[in-house]
Amino acid sequence: MRVQLESGKRSTPLREMLHTAALGLLLVPATAKAGDPTDRIDVTSLLYGEQGRTQVVEPVVRFTHLFADGQSISTQLSIDVITGASPTGALPSGVVQTRTSASGHVITSPAGAIPMAPFHDQRFGFDGEWQKPFARIFTSTVGGHFSREKDYQSLGVNGKLSTDLMNRLVTITIGGGINHDSVFPVGGTPIGLSDGTVVHSGSNSKDVKNVLLGGSRILTRRWMMSVNGSQTFESGYLTEPYKLISLMNPATGAPVGTLTDKRPSTRNRSSVLLSSVYHLSDDILYTSYRYYWDTWSVRSHTIDVKYRRDLDTDSYVEPLVRYYRQSAASFFTIGLPQGAPLPDFATSDYRLGKLQTITIGATYGTRFEDIPGDWTVRAQYMRQFGDSSPPNAIGIQRNFDLAPPVNIVAFVIGYSFGY
Amino acid sequence: MAIRAAELLKSIDVPVLNRVEDHFVGTFVAMASPCTVLVDTDDRAEAEGLLEIAEAEARRIEQKFSRYRRGNLVDRINHSDGRPIEVDEETALLIDYAVTCYEMSDGMFDITSGVLRRVWTFDGRSGVPSESAVYQCLRHVGWWRVAWEKPALRLPTGMEIDFGGIGKEYAVDRAAALIGASTRCSYLVNFGGDLYAARRRRGDRTWGVGIDDPTRTGESALFRLDVATGGVATSGDARRYVRWRGKRLGHILNPKTGWPVVDAPSSVTVIGRTCMEAGTLSTLAYLQGPDARAYLEEQDVQFWIV
Repeated sequence: MRVQLESGKRSTPLREMLHTAALGLLLVPATAKAGDPTDRIDVTSLLYGEQGRTQVVEPVVRFTHLFADGQSISTQLSIDVITGASPTGALPSGVVQTRTSASGHVITSPAGAIPMAPFHDQRFGFDGEWQKPFARIFTSTVGGHFSREKDYQSLGVNGKLSTDLMNRLVTITIGGGINHDSVFPVGGTPIGLSDGTVVHSGSNSKDVKNVLLGGSRILTRRWMMSVNGSQTFESGYLTEPYKLISLMNPATGAPVGTLTDKRPSTRNRSSVLLSSVYHLSDDILYTSYRYYWDTWSVRSHTIDVKYRRDLDTDSYVEPLVRYYRQSAASFFTIGLPQGAPLPDFATSDYRLGKLQTITIGATYGTRFEDIPGDWTVRAQYMRQFGDSSPPNAIGIQRNFDLAPPVNIVAFVIGYSFGY
Repeated sequence: MAIRAAELLKSIDVPVLNRVEDHFVGTFVAMASPCTVLVDTDDRAEAEGLLEIAEAEARRIEQKFSRYRRGNLVDRINHSDGRPIEVDEETALLIDYAVTCYEMSDGMFDITSGVLRRVWTFDGRSGVPSESAVYQCLRHVGWWRVAWEKPALRLPTGMEIDFGGIGKEYAVDRAAALIGASTRCSYLVNFGGDLYAARRRRGDRTWGVGIDDPTRTGESALFRLDVATGGVATSGDARRYVRWRGKRLGHILNPKTGWPVVDAPSSVTVIGRTCMEAGTLSTLAYLQGPDARAYLEEQDVQFWIV
């Protein structure tokens, strides 16, 4: 079917009408982001659970306002509720072990089980960030944060400057931040490597300075790579006040008592992150490798692979695999033999021991016809392996699994809405 | 961070600036098309600045009006589920322009016809959809079903709008206007074959524009136009078509039948005062099928039909 226009009569009026309409359109000043959302609310809620250990619920609300000139301001409020139990660091006893916690509860551990200390805490955090582009190729970001929980407070500021070079092929970022934290353990701060009965009151400070340097480069239409290096200097009270180290009978390995944790008062951490984003015809492949090392002799490797696939214009799925491996800190020990001279520093905190974690998970993002905004659901399963039979285990400790694998699941539900 | 990087990769293409003989040629990819900016200057920094302006404007328009971008205004309109959506001044004027085209073409140019692409695949291999599939789609096509009371647009559930038919030409004219305001040089903006040139070149020369042979895209130019100032646009089935009963059916669909325009020329090129004018006239002419030539002869414009 074709429509025949009435000939002759409309010719000039048609051109004139089109021309007039086009000119009207071309005279409108270009409004940078007109029609696009200028405010955005992101709500996420994390549910994290370690089998038989810690459970975390963390709702986060973030509000972002975009100004017409490209500036943006965002603020974020987060609340963590942490409950559960965490390994104290003490060894399995072979007999029922008992211990009194700071809150006055008496806890017992079955023979052969890793002793755990229950806890319940809430953390409240507030973050703010201001981003401003200037002189066409620069973007500056300044931010600050404050968080507080029962026995910990953190206050920090940070800044970042990015510049685009070579027609935006290359982006260079430099940044830094300072943090001042205070640790005020419930029941006072125990003296390190003591039986924990002598405590001093008041708070302990911890200062953190951080610098970072990064560069990213677009190599082809589809491929971008980046390198980021960061250096962090920590000083002050870096010990975990609630962690314990078992004193062992040097012959049988049976625990005869516990000592408190003690760590050096400085720690310099370094890391290098290499990442790649490859855009296939529709899908996106992310890969990254991170190497980390610090002055406590902890070295770690992280390999991360993610693959994003758009299912249709409204939804996508993004599976993920991660492998993490770290070596133990130089002063990590499963326990100390009774009677031997004490080292300067010691910890039995599993997080400073030899550790491997395998993570598999996936993110699914979608929108619904009748509700505005984007929804995401992320599920992750992690399995953490420690050093189950360390070579320096003695006596009965050889019979126990000193680092049973831990199963961890995490769910994140997110909702993002622009208006 | 990773997502941002991906967004960047999706949207950015590497802009490249080269000196070619006595002028500069800047290229980038936007709106799924190769984009070129020619500047008649010896000053690299100036050409670089103008390329940046053109690229930024192309990306802005793509971001704002592409129906493939999540979360932009067009996306919100297409997911409005029957609710009215308030649009900004620029979008309102673009809709008004589309309405003018709709009225001037007796409904043949229709920004709601994109829904038909759900059933048509123009990759040169696929066949034609079933009659009932086309019929089902046509229930969601037709500007007359839309309530447009500036600045509120209400689209019935299941319908979509698509500025694909005028967006690229609009981007060319806008980028050209922005460049024109920041230079005194002669320049030419070409986004995927739709172009606009301004001012005579140094030495009283013009820009040479080749018209492609529609059967051998990119290989040989059939004609060479000399353009000093004005817009040039081409409509046709050069790359996107289906074969059906020995015929090539081009990708431009008749919103009334849901079928490609029958017996249309392979390509229609029009010179206009703006790229939008040229693009609209070439599309409207193409929609006339075998009467394209007669249609353009009535419009008193320069054109080429292949």
